[in-house]
Amino acid sequence: MQRRSFLKGIMMTGAAAAVVSPSLAFSAEAPKGPNAMDLDTAIKAITGGKSVSASDKVQLKAPEIAENGAVVPVSVTVDSPMSAEDHVKAIHIFATKNSNVRCADVMLTPANGTASFSTRVKLGSSQDVMALVVTSKGEFLSAAQNVKVTIGGCG
Amino acid sequence: MKKIILASALLGVLAFGGDQFAMSDADRAMYEEMLEHNPADMDIAWGGELFEANIGSEEALAKFLGVKAEELAVYLSGFPRYIEKLGMVASQEQVLQGAMAEAGKKPLALKSKEMAAMGAYVKSLSNGLPVSIDINANEHMKKAYALGDVVFNQQRGGRGLSCMSCHAPAVIGSILRTQPLPDLGSEANKAAATWPAYRMTKSNLTTLQKRFQGCMENALLAVIPMGSPEMNALEVYVTHVAKGKEIAIPGLKR
Amino acid sequence: MATKSLVKIKPKTYKVGDVVEVSLMVMHPMETGLRKDKESGKLIPAHYINDVKFSFNGTPFTTIKSWESLSTNPVYTISYKVSEAGEIKVAFTDTKGEANENGTKITPKA
Ligand code: HEC
Repeated sequence: MQRRSFLKGIMMTGAAAAVVSPSLAFSAEAPKGPNAMDLDTAIKAITGGKSVSASDKVQLKAPEIAENGAVVPVSVTVDSPMSAEDHVKAIHIFATKNSNVRCADVMLTPANGTASFSTRVKLGSSQDVMALVVTSKGEFLSAAQNVKVTIGGCG
Repeated sequence: MKKIILASALLGVLAFGGDQFAMSDADRAMYEEMLEHNPADMDIAWGGELFEANIGSEEALAKFLGVKAEELAVYLSGFPRYIEKLGMVASQEQVLQGAMAEAGKKPLALKSKEMAAMGAYVKSLSNGLPVSIDINANEHMKKAYALGDVVFNQQRGGRGLSCMSCHAPAVIGSILRTQPLPDLGSEANKAAATWPAYRMTKSNLTTLQKRFQGCMENALLAVIPMGSPEMNALEVYVTHVAKGKEIAIPGLKR
Repeated sequence: MATKSLVKIKPKTYKVGDVVEVSLMVMHPMETGLRKDKESGKLIPAHYINDVKFSFNGTPFTTIKSWESLSTNPVYTISYKVSEAGEIKVAFTDTKGEANENGTKITPKA
């Protein structure tokens, strides 16, 4: 008897949880962490205010729909000869709506042979993932992709 | 009556076909690529160290099981098995417990991280081989399979659901809160052949029995303890569904 | 115990001049500082890998500054152009100052 009512109690909360829309799982206003930094500030810190141009030399791959916001694969490849005169110096990855948008700042050298970086990021909500690339010629190139974060499924 | 209403409540949250949240093939490919860098590879490496420390060697395990060392991998691909020494249909983890006990060591708990890692390491010794469980090997296996069938199909808990409610051919592929319901025997899932797996939602290596428990918790079925006859029977049942599928440990799952 | 990690090269066989993928995987919670402990209800302090350095035969060729937004048990994959046989070392440090190192041999096929 004891056990039955206990199970019933779980059932109520469980059933309620099952019908809440996924978006409720993340609060609308992301809480601020110790490193909180917005996108503009983060970009300015790198470019010093110089202009950034979206470029198809930068290929950013991320899923359009993430199975799970805690593990979102992101990979960036930049079309570059990676020679001493002409190479990618840095690839920065931003989760544009996380409280701290910065995910990784990757400093490359010609020894890399190819300008690429891939990792997995946590996204608190649906948002753009952005790559900002700095070349040895002083250009700032970018690419972005929107990722829809869903939660759901069974346990 | 009540049961029927509750079961249709589940159907309410299922969306069939062409769901807006369905992932594209390109997305799936990205997730599949992640298998190459499966964080659980680190658990397997650690599991190998634990195996050496606790069991000694493959030879020692083979000796405990009464098989030749060179036949160990094939033998392991046929678990769960009836193990005379233990007097029960046992999971590999229980065999490892038995081997530790025989060597005078305190067996690791089934639900410990250490056992999950060591068990995954041992399972990975059969990687590339087909799942070779034989449910007709003896009376014990027949009984375990029959019990597993019952547990899989029994409607329990607050919402009157069974495993079958969600993993039946009729609903497989439909979507529960954005997640397609997996066909436990399909080529894409190979469920039993790919656990232990790294669960991205949990950020850890999870065993098949722990995964079952996750479904039980979510579907409000009373949780069956790991290693119990019912749980082992369920493992027998689900493993049989994946018979012949290539073992690939560790898997990578949502 | 040292933090568990794994360094991998892909593909398995390569020649001098080939560009290979070098990956570092680390067992690390990558705590954001925003998560509450389920039992105590207190915020778990931020704790993540913030510095990764890849070097070949002692010469650094890629450095990464990473933040709490990388997933638990993070993976870092970069490219490397094979120049000769030698050793890649990867050093990584977290925000508590724990420093670790792992590595792998580079053995190009003739
Ligand atoms: C309410 C529906 C529901 C019920 C009931 C349910 N499951 Fe599941 N199960 C799911 C969903 C959805 C997934 C996969 C999605 C995910 O990963 O979250 C899943 C995944 C699984 C997997 C992993 C499959 C894979 O991809 O390898 C196994 C094994 C499993 N379930 C077994 C069981 C067993 C055994 C039971 C009965 C004790 C059960 N399930 C009951 C919905 C259910």
